Amino acid sequence: MGRYILKRLLQGIPLLFFISLILFVLMMNTGDPVATMGGRRVTRSGDYERLRRQLGLDKPIYLQYIYWLVGNDWTKTDVDGDGIVETPGTRRGVLRGDFGISLLNRKPVLEVIGERLPNTLILMVASEVVIIVGALLVGIYSALRQYSLLDNIITALLFIFYSMPIFFIALISMYIFAVLFKRWGLPYLPTVGMFDPQVGETTAQILWHLVLPVLSISLISFAAYSRYIRSTMLEVMSQDYIRTARAKGLPKREVIFIHALKNASLPIVTVVGLDLPLLLGGAVVTERIFAWPGMGRLFLDHIDRADLPVIMGILMLVAVAVVVFQIITDIVYAWLDPRIRYEK
Amino acid sequence: MYHKGNLYRVFCVLIILGMIISACAQAATEVDVVPEKATAAPTAPPEKKVATLIYTQEFDSLAPLYTSMWFSWTTWQMNNHWAWEFDEKNEPFPRLVTEIPSVENGGISEDGTTITMKLRDDIKWSDNTPLTADDFIFTWEMAVSPANLVATTYPYDMIESVTAPDPQTVVVKFYEPFAPWLANLWHGILPAHILRPIFEAEGTIDNAEWLRSPTVGCGPYNFVEWESGSYARYVRNENYWGTPAKIDEIFIRFVPDDASQVAALKAGDADLGTFIAYSDVPGLKEAGLNIVVEPNGYSEWMFFLVNEEIGHPALLDVRVRKAVAMAIDREGIVRDLLGGIPKVPASFWDALPFYNDPPLTNYPYDPEGAKDLLDEAGWIDADGDGVRDKDGVALELEHATTIREIRQDAQAVMQQQLGEVGIKLNVNPVDDTLYFASYADNGPAARGEYDIQEWSDGPLFPDPDIYYWLCSEIPSDEYPTGENWFYICDEELDALIQLQSTQVNVTERKETFTKINQLFYDQVYIIGLWQDPDVYAVGSHLVNAKFSGVTMFFNIAEWDLVP
Repeated sequence: MGRYILKRLLQGIPLLFFISLILFVLMMNTGDPVATMGGRRVTRSGDYERLRRQLGLDKPIYLQYIYWLVGNDWTKTDVDGDGIVETPGTRRGVLRGDFGISLLNRKPVLEVIGERLPNTLILMVASEVVIIVGALLVGIYSALRQYSLLDNIITALLFIFYSMPIFFIALISMYIFAVLFKRWGLPYLPTVGMFDPQVGETTAQILWHLVLPVLSISLISFAAYSRYIRSTMLEVMSQDYIRTARAKGLPKREVIFIHALKNASLPIVTVVGLDLPLLLGGAVVTERIFAWPGMGRLFLDHIDRADLPVIMGILMLVAVAVVVFQIITDIVYAWLDPRIRYEK
Repeated sequence: MYHKGNLYRVFCVLIILGMIISACAQAATEVDVVPEKATAAPTAPPEKKVATLIYTQEFDSLAPLYTSMWFSWTTWQMNNHWAWEFDEKNEPFPRLVTEIPSVENGGISEDGTTITMKLRDDIKWSDNTPLTADDFIFTWEMAVSPANLVATTYPYDMIESVTAPDPQTVVVKFYEPFAPWLANLWHGILPAHILRPIFEAEGTIDNAEWLRSPTVGCGPYNFVEWESGSYARYVRNENYWGTPAKIDEIFIRFVPDDASQVAALKAGDADLGTFIAYSDVPGLKEAGLNIVVEPNGYSEWMFFLVNEEIGHPALLDVRVRKAVAMAIDREGIVRDLLGGIPKVPASFWDALPFYNDPPLTNYPYDPEGAKDLLDEAGWIDADGDGVRDKDGVALELEHATTIREIRQDAQAVMQQQLGEVGIKLNVNPVDDTLYFASYADNGPAARGEYDIQEWSDGPLFPDPDIYYWLCSEIPSDEYPTGENWFYICDEELDALIQLQSTQVNVTERKETFTKINQLFYDQVYIIGLWQDPDVYAVGSHLVNAKFSGVTMFFNIAEWDLVP
């Protein structure tokens, strides 16, 4: 297994290079970051030339990629526009841990991402936990009580939520539980934000502000996950080894949760394994509506302004996470099913 | 059998109960609020006045010179000041100076190149350091230093020198007479005593902590903190040299979604909302908020590309351009899509009545008149396909604007109305960063790919200065940063635009603008769609709040909160 993991990690390196190249070229065509630096006006021509030169945007695309990858402290550039290449570069490049600075706020990219990543993990991990636990409960119940009245009601509700766009659920829940409940004198939830800045960033505040965003995200995903679990549970419950386990007189709980669920969860592990790295990207719509200061909103704000360094930082983070989590998924597979082995 | 089914029911009930309990528990916590973790704020008495403002975009920087964002500019009346600011009528008044320079008071030289400012002698930074002419000199030096990544060097790059014969006198000498100085100079001052040592040590102030955290300021509030994506916080400056602010603390919360902002305002989670959409105004008024509309010089305009080489031949004829103006029911668009709140501008200087004198009137909505003009111009529907043509060329125009919803809606209406007079309008919605990309980056607007461009713009308000329509600003391979994306070279217009920028005599400049105004009207180079003022939603507890279209929160020290 160790050699397998190492092999997979080494395979990931050229893959990440290829991904970075493709993404860099694609992101270079998302717009002109200098065009919107004039505020409500088009950037003045003199400023336009100067800013492009100072930000290194006047270089050919291949050179910009090389500087992004390995830095430019080994060369000099013409920053003041006098035609003399005399100013040493200051960037060390991604390979040396320097993702550059944001074109918008001049902060280091890692600092920009670092400010938002924990907020996204809080939101997305909480959502994922709620989704998995809720989906497990609903999926198992649906499999065991197939076509019962409650199963039909739950299934119908889940499909209704699944078919609703997330912005609709988010705004409706905000209006009901925050605006109208407050107006009616009922206990109410907050409208926006991760915490009330007047109170401070406390655990209680964060949990309180998590309710609506998590509810919005999870209501949509419950249906898909619970149906996965339901169908795999149904398949597994009809297997001979389950019949054998029952015949041996094992408690119902053990048959379901030890023998059936473990085998039924392999497909779920795949789905969760694919979803986990995407957690880092945040939930763009949810974060925007609830003003949650996460990675999704960060990505949206910066791609809107064509801030290439920050966009590339976020995308590469997600790419690395996908590669790593796929390896983790394979390991979990092997743990769940001893028949699965990756080495000869 | 007991466990069968019950276990699942218990789990489900527990989850639901948990959410309800947490809701009730938090409601109780809200009433007995005791922070578990103290923030950097000092402890305040129970009656502390705290205001919350909602911004729909987060600022990219808080430092003067380093940003052109509207949202950042608002903070410069909180923890900084302009040399002179503008009130709710957009009239200038002295702030850091004792009086506004003029030819009459000797503040402007006869040749118009030198401006002498007399500073107040009581201004100080929040750390008690006096604010003097040296800070102005330093601000100019930083603006023009090629080592600093400032957002714009304008108009500081037009200044030959800034000197200080004494600590309270600033002498600004321009290379050439510069008429728009009042609107464009000294938008915030940099603290020399903090930043000069950094500049001398590092050769740039780009990495100075003060740029991200301007904790030393000269305004009625001090900056405290900026939590990325979440909020910024200001507290009253106890060392303020002017009238102390009434509100103790101000929080600025970043809420990018319009509907969420409205929900927060209705729920009472904020005292002020910004950039309110017209469609939200009735609902907010019903919820008890006050709506304030402040002219800022911007209006939504359609700009024609009029050029023999690359433009549509139809648009070379002023009759066709007039026909387009008369075929669109602009009053109807404002009434139906914008709630009738703004007006249809007739002049690019609508918000500057002094320079729109005599005031222009709009071409009326007259589709039949439009058809007559098109017939007269020779554009008739020879092949019967519903689209007029002439010499084998169809009257099919490319119209482009950004993807904002109101623009999409207006485009659809215009497309239909122009179709009724035989003009086919092809609509092209384009993302901002692509639309406004430069000529060098093959920006479609800059490259002249659209016959009609549309965006919100105005003069360099509150100055009437413009420069777009200069012949020298037409972009080309030799001059890719040219800003005359309309490719119009009208020699008379060009001469007038150049003249006005040098006329420091207000009366003479006004006469020049009268001619420019009339020329725009006669030639129909632009069509006004709707005014685009700043729209604020003010909570009922926030009083004394006035707004300017230039220095937005100019009287923020007088704002107050009442129960």
